[in-house]
Amino acid sequence: MRLIHRSHRAANAVRTVSPSGELFVASIVICMILASFGDAVDPTWLGEAGLEFAFFDFGGEFSVLAMRHWHLLELLLAGGAMAAGIMVLRIVVGAFFHPLDPVHRDAVEKVPIKL
Amino acid sequence: MELELFSGAFFSALLAIILIDLVLAGDNALIIGLVARNLPKDSQKKVIFWGTFGAIAIRALMAILVVYILAVPGFMLAGGLALVWIARKLLTPQDKEEESHLVKAPAASFAAAVRTIIIADAVMGIDNVLAIGGASHGSILLILIGLAISVPIIVWGSQLVIKLVDRYPSVILVGGAVLCWTAYGMIVREPMLVAWFEAHPAAKLVLAVLAFSIALAPWYAERLSEQMKPLTVLLPAMLIWMLGFEAASSIWKVQVDYLMATTQGEYMLEGLRWIGWLPFAALFLWVRERMVLRNARLARSAQ
Repeated sequence: MRLIHRSHRAANAVRTVSPSGELFVASIVICMILASFGDAVDPTWLGEAGLEFAFFDFGGEFSVLAMRHWHLLELLLAGGAMAAGIMVLRIVVGAFFHPLDPVHRDAVEKVPIKL
Repeated sequence: MELELFSGAFFSALLAIILIDLVLAGDNALIIGLVARNLPKDSQKKVIFWGTFGAIAIRALMAILVVYILAVPGFMLAGGLALVWIARKLLTPQDKEEESHLVKAPAASFAAAVRTIIIADAVMGIDNVLAIGGASHGSILLILIGLAISVPIIVWGSQLVIKLVDRYPSVILVGGAVLCWTAYGMIVREPMLVAWFEAHPAAKLVLAVLAFSIALAPWYAERLSEQMKPLTVLLPAMLIWMLGFEAASSIWKVQVDYLMATTQGEYMLEGLRWIGWLPFAALFLWVRERMVLRNARLARSAQ
């Protein structure tokens, strides 16, 4: 029996995890897959295809080619940064689209301006 | 591969070892409690001390031994595959409280109690030492530092660990992801496959996605609708199909790359590689649908 199984929430982590925690781990997994993609890409192939400049200009240190050398700490940090970025983006996009939603036809305040 | 001391890679491996130790830790307190409950009070204290000491010593010994075992060709691959399964088991929800099968009855003597605790810890810790052996990159120093940090936390701070994972269940998911990442690293580092992976770099990406799709299946299966659930089988199966063709091209020296294909047979092989799995997927979905309908009919007739 594992120590973590003494907690019901931990034993059912896939069900009890919070949305933000889930986003964080999903971001880490995406970073790990991107790092393995960087490992899978042959840099000489990029040279042959004439893409090396595009890659270096676009991503520099953060391109998947650089990610092949990333360690777990870097992947965790990148996952955290990616999750935070997605959360901020969600809030900003939500704030932008929220006023565009039409007010319900029976709502008291049809015009969102208070005098 | 020896890691440079106090480098980023060193601290990353140390973090992986501590995380793996925490999420895969066995419930030693429960075992000790079960074994020593019939012994006199003064013997119980001695059993707790010597049982814990013996368990730590055997854990360290096993971890060091695993480093040497993993250096044998073939064991890195086997260990990596086992770790993918361990990660999957870690994430699989536990509906019922698991009972300890390692302790059948309380021990009658001090020596029997200590022996039972040590054996139980050794059995419970096999997956743990395998994982930290893979994460340590062959560094015994790293294993010893990792154990020196994590064992006191588990032994004397078990309540702290339980509170942490209870408050943040995402720690378990991170543990599963790290286990899977370690498994991928072990398979790619397998001495027998290093040259093959160098020649087939794309296979590394397929392997990484395959490992994550198997290990994290309990997680994403929870988020999929009933109709999409077969994806947990189809996605890994499709990736194994792709890897199989890549492996077959090396073993039987056949050309499966369409850019290099010249004969009609090679083009057909390429077509089979990309769409040949479709009939099998359709067959699987058909059989699954039949089984679901049959089970529903049986459940209805049982009512």
